[in-house]
Amino acid sequence: MLNFFIDRFSQALFALKDNLRRTLLSILGIAVGIAAVMAVGTISKGGNYLVFSELETFGLNSLWVFRDRADKNPNRMIREGTGINNDDYQALSSDCCPAVRRISAIVSGSRGKRIIIQANNRYSNAQLQGVDTALTTIANDVIVQGRPFRVRDMTSRRAVAILGPMAVEDLFGAASPIGREFRIGNRKFTVIGVLETKSRDFLASIGSAGGQDANNRILIPYTTFQQMQGHKKINYLQAEAVTQAQASVAAEQLIAVLKRHNGRNFAYKSDTMDTYINTTQRILDGVAMIGIVAASVSLLVGGMGIMNIMSTSVLERTREIGLRKAIGARRRDIMLQFLLEAVVISTMGGIIGLTLGTGASIILAELTGFPLTPSVTVIIIALIVSVAVGIISGYLPARRAARLHPVEALRYE
Amino acid sequence: MINLTGIHKSYSVGEVLLPVLRGVSLNVNAGEFVAIMGPSGSGKTTLLNVIGCLDDVDTGTYTLAGETVDQASDDDLARIRNQHIGFVFQLFNLIPRISALRNVELPMIYTGEHPAERRKRALQALQRMNIADRADHAPSQLSGGQQQRVAIARALVNNPELLVADEPTGSLDSATGHEIMMLFHELNQAGTTILMVTHEEEIAAHAGRIIRLKDGLIANDDGA
Repeated sequence: MLNFFIDRFSQALFALKDNLRRTLLSILGIAVGIAAVMAVGTISKGGNYLVFSELETFGLNSLWVFRDRADKNPNRMIREGTGINNDDYQALSSDCCPAVRRISAIVSGSRGKRIIIQANNRYSNAQLQGVDTALTTIANDVIVQGRPFRVRDMTSRRAVAILGPMAVEDLFGAASPIGREFRIGNRKFTVIGVLETKSRDFLASIGSAGGQDANNRILIPYTTFQQMQGHKKINYLQAEAVTQAQASVAAEQLIAVLKRHNGRNFAYKSDTMDTYINTTQRILDGVAMIGIVAASVSLLVGGMGIMNIMSTSVLERTREIGLRKAIGARRRDIMLQFLLEAVVISTMGGIIGLTLGTGASIILAELTGFPLTPSVTVIIIALIVSVAVGIISGYLPARRAARLHPVEALRYE
Repeated sequence: MINLTGIHKSYSVGEVLLPVLRGVSLNVNAGEFVAIMGPSGSGKTTLLNVIGCLDDVDTGTYTLAGETVDQASDDDLARIRNQHIGFVFQLFNLIPRISALRNVELPMIYTGEHPAERRKRALQALQRMNIADRADHAPSQLSGGQQQRVAIARALVNNPELLVADEPTGSLDSATGHEIMMLFHELNQAGTTILMVTHEEEIAAHAGRIIRLKDGLIANDDGA
C-alpha cells in the first residue's frame, strides 16, 4: 500500500517537474489564495481580540437601567426628572432581584452646568460621576493605588474621590496623589484611590460612549454629589448580573420594581453589555465573512488555474494516456494519476500559503501584542481546503483522461 | 490461443455507420508468428486492436487464452492487456520524461509489483533486448532502433503470451527494421505468439503465416 502511494506520488512529481514553470505558477496561485484567506482570518481575529478585550474591561455582566425618555403619562404631559430616586434605590438594593449580583446608583452632573475641578492651578476636564461602593467592581475597574469606596463614605457623604489616570495626570502630574486634596466647584476633596488605565482604542475610534473616556473620570460618593447639587435624584443604575446571559433578566427584574414604584409616571429601559457584545460580534462576523468571501475568490482563481493546466496536460499527454491504458492502466489508475498531480500542486501551494500566512501572523502578533498566531485548527483546515481545491479542480480533467478510449488516445497526434 | 468468430465492427462517422470488420473468423495457435496485411482501410489495424483488447466488437465472440473477451468489462480488459498482451507501436510510445528503465517498469506498476522486483525484471528485459547499457537514458537520447528495443522490453516485461505489433518497423530504416525482426524471431522461438500488422512484404515474410484482409474480410490466409 505504501509502495503504491510512493509510486503514484513520484510519477506525479516527474510529470509536474516536466512542466516546471506552469506548475510553479499554479502553486503560486493557490499559495496566494490560502495566504489571503489566512490573512483575513488573522485580521478579523485581531479585530475581535481588540474589541472584546476592551468590552471586557467594562464588565461582561454589566447592565444599565434608565428612564425611557419617550414615556408620557396618561395626561400626555412630559414629566421632568430621572425617574429614579434614593427610595427606589433602597428598594432595589435589598434582595428584590435574584439575577442581580451588585448594583450602583450613578449620579452625573447636570447637563450644561460646568463644574470647575482644580488643584493648585491645575485643571481637569474629567467626567464627574457620583457612584456607590459597588461600581468599581461592576465596571471591572481596578484600583491600582489607595482604596475603594466604603459604605461610610456614602452614609457620611464624605468628600473623597477616586481618580482615573488622566485626571491624576492633569491635577497632580507624576506625583502620587493619594491623600492629596483638590477642589470640585468650591468643595475640597481628598484623593483615596487611582484607577488602572483602560484600553480605549476601539471604543474611542468608533466614538462610542459619548466621547467619554474611562481614563478621564473622577468618582465620588453619589450621596456627596447629590448633596452638592441639592437633590436626591439618581440618573441611572449600573448593575452586574449573576451571569452574562442573565443580564437582560436582571434588567427586567429591576425595571419591574421601578415600575411598581413609579409606573404611573415613568417608563424605563435598559442596555446590557451582552447585547453590545452580540451586536458587535454580528458586525465583526459580517465583516470577516465579506473578507473571507473576497479572499476565497483568489483561491477560486487559483483552483481554476489548476483546472486549466490539468486540462492542457491531459490534452498534451493523450497518447501517454492511451499507452498507459494499453499496458494495463484501469480508469481509476488514470483518474488517480491526474487527481494526484492536481492535489500535489494545490497542497504545495497550500503549504507555501500557510507558511506565508503564519509568518505574517507571527510578525503582526509581535508588532501589536495581540495573540494572533494561527491555531492548529486553522492550519488543518487550510490543508484540507488545499487538498479539496486540488480534488475539485482536478476532477473534470482527470475524468476526461480516465474516459479516453485507448485506441483513439493512441491515434491522437 | 486466439479464437475469433464472426467479428463485426463498425465506426460511426457522423451519422453514417462505417463497417470496418464484416464477419472475421480466425484461429491463432500458441507459438505462431502471424503477419496481417492489406490495403489501407481493409481493417487490419482494427482487427489488431480487437485482438489486443483495445477495442470492443459489435457482434461475434472472442476468446484469448481461455478468457472471454467480448463480454469483459473495462477493468477486466485492462487486466487482460496487462497480463496476456505486450504492445509494440510504430511510434514506440515511450514516455519522454522518464528513463528507459522506468518506461519498462510501467506495466508492473499497474500489477502492483514491488519496486525492487520491478527494477530487476525491467533490467532483465532490457538485457534481453541488448539495450541494458542505455537503461538510464531518456528516450530522446536514444535512436529509433534503440527506442523500439526499449518498447519491446516494456512489452515483454510481464511475460505475456501474445505480442501485438502495429507497424513495428514503420519508423525505422530497413537495416534496423531487420534487427527488430531478428528479435521477434528470437521471441517467437522462445514461445511468444506474435501478431504483427505491416504493409511491407519483406517484413511480412519474417512471419510464418500471412493473413490478407480486404474490405473487412479475410481474403487470404496461408495458414488456414
